Amino acid sequence: MPKAMIQDNSRCIGCRACMVACKEWNGLGGEHEAEDAEFFAGDGYQNPRDLDPDNYTLITYTEKPEDREWVFGRQLCMHCLEPACASVCPTTALVKTEEGPVVFDAYRCIGCRYCIQACPFQIPKYDYDMGIFPEVHKCTFCSDRIAADLEPSCAKVCPTDAITFGERDDMIVEAERRIASAPGFYEPHIYGKDEVGGTSVFHLSTVPFEQVGYTTGLPMEPLPDLTHKSMRLVPRLFIALLTLFSGLAWFARRRLAREEAEARAELQEREQI
Amino acid sequence: MARPARRPSIGTIVALGLFGTAVVFIAIRFVYGLGAIANINDGYPWGWWVGFGVMSFISFGACGFTMALLADVLGIHKYEPFVRPTMVLGLLFYLSYVIILGIEIGRPWKAWIIFFSWGHTSALFEIAWCATIYTICLVLEFGKLATERIELPKLRRILVAIYLPAVVVGVTFSHFHQSSLGTMMTIVPLKVDDRWWSELLPATFLLTAYSTGFSVAIIEHVLATRYLRLKPRVDLLASLGNLQLVVVGIFLFLRFGDLVYQGTIASMLSVDWISLAIWVELLVGFVLPFGLLAIPSIRNTLWGPFAGSSLLIFGNLMMRNNITVVGMEVQTWQTYFPAAGEILTTVGVLAGTIWLYTFLLRVLPIHQEEPLDGPVHADVSASAHGLARSAEATA
Repeated sequence: MPKAMIQDNSRCIGCRACMVACKEWNGLGGEHEAEDAEFFAGDGYQNPRDLDPDNYTLITYTEKPEDREWVFGRQLCMHCLEPACASVCPTTALVKTEEGPVVFDAYRCIGCRYCIQACPFQIPKYDYDMGIFPEVHKCTFCSDRIAADLEPSCAKVCPTDAITFGERDDMIVEAERRIASAPGFYEPHIYGKDEVGGTSVFHLSTVPFEQVGYTTGLPMEPLPDLTHKSMRLVPRLFIALLTLFSGLAWFARRRLAREEAEARAELQEREQI
Repeated sequence: MARPARRPSIGTIVALGLFGTAVVFIAIRFVYGLGAIANINDGYPWGWWVGFGVMSFISFGACGFTMALLADVLGIHKYEPFVRPTMVLGLLFYLSYVIILGIEIGRPWKAWIIFFSWGHTSALFEIAWCATIYTICLVLEFGKLATERIELPKLRRILVAIYLPAVVVGVTFSHFHQSSLGTMMTIVPLKVDDRWWSELLPATFLLTAYSTGFSVAIIEHVLATRYLRLKPRVDLLASLGNLQLVVVGIFLFLRFGDLVYQGTIASMLSVDWISLAIWVELLVGFVLPFGLLAIPSIRNTLWGPFAGSSLLIFGNLMMRNNITVVGMEVQTWQTYFPAAGEILTTVGVLAGTIWLYTFLLRVLPIHQEEPLDGPVHADVSASAHGLARSAEATA
């Protein structure tokens, strides 16, 4: 059964325990910021500015202009139901599993970075400083933990229950219940329920999503459909074109042979005269 | 004809110098990673190498399939003089694109795994298969040319028999190969500015592949006949110019029609860099050459089609770079401008390609037009040099 996760930003206190737990479970390195690097990005204590090969998840800090209060958001792989990254991977190094996680297999990766290009949430990150073994890095939804019937490490560690993990259908019901139970408190939208055909991570927020760094204006149809529109024509068009060109080339060759034979005959006639 | 040992020409020194520079950068890339020589980042993961390197080299390589389509498939035999040069040039551009791809993708030694995967939903999967099969076809076609003056009757018979099937298969795969470059960008409607993003991208990429293929054929003909001191076929250039008018006409109709249909034509009037880029691309790169080639007194000259073709190639380069770089909108802090390493590797590989082509021009019977100075001096024509050289080599 497909799993999903609710990220309820109204419950988040910005402690970043999820970021630490993620690093621990996945064995990711710490930050090595240069001395003159901008340590904090944005208005608050957000660090780093963006996801990178050592940060699969990130708490974003935004200061509300009206009361200078911080609001939080969280970046991580959305684990789309029909992931653009997996659909564009020419070697199926990225696959959507039945339980929900979109997982990456470094063995199959050729490093074309089409997944990075295609992801509407700009999640996959790449080792630009690796000479021969660069990899794509992104949240795994702790697929190894899910396989062992455990919840992802971020959900496990969250002290305020801002992260809830369970069956996808149950999570939709739960998210709807929360929005309905406190009218006017939440934005009346479950981010991720329908975006790009639905994802496995649902975000709830008390401020409009675009103000906390979420990509909005996404289509509600799966992105792979866009490529499929032209790709599905390929097999039939291929057969049609191959037949057409073979026929044309055959006629062209036959005409050429006939012309040559005529020319030869003419030459012989002239010689006889 | 005994020839004194020649000092390498300036062109050779420059071309090989540029190629050597590229090799140095490539070595750095494989030790310290892509970031050491390129500015590409997670916002712009492809950049110049894909926009200029891969996408444009493939469109240059379109010269091969377009001319083979005209002469061998459609049977318009007057275009025969273009078939050999564009086939060789097409092959070289495909090989140079493979070199750029080998630098650009992170794990090039893993590339074979594409052929043992079933990633059929990926445009890149289609591109990889089509490009590989087309390159094999080109190698077979090249084999027929390369063995022309070698006494290998058995191999020769196979290559001659296989030529036309290779052409037909190659031309077919080329159509899907060229259009799938456009398909590749259809999955990012939010990142590519809507003045470029369109469901018609596969069609516009195929049409610009045609126009670029014709352009490369024309430019090659003008320059190579000059280089080899042969008589250029101005009549054929003009009729290729006519075909370009048709292709560019359809392209402009689709492009502007799509801008109107999508309602994005209004945003082209806004004053920003993206608008400037699109106007330069469409006006200088497509409308201006269309106008030039439409005037018979310009089209029926040697340099008229040359100028029109150069502009069309410029427009095509603009279009491909605009879609992959200029028109890309990601996070506000993410910016991209190609690094010296990216530009120099591409330019170096391009210079090496052109140098190798001029070398092949001298040793293989690629051009068979009449010599410029009349048959008396036929022995100084460049292909005769090649003959003399291969005779020396065998002796």
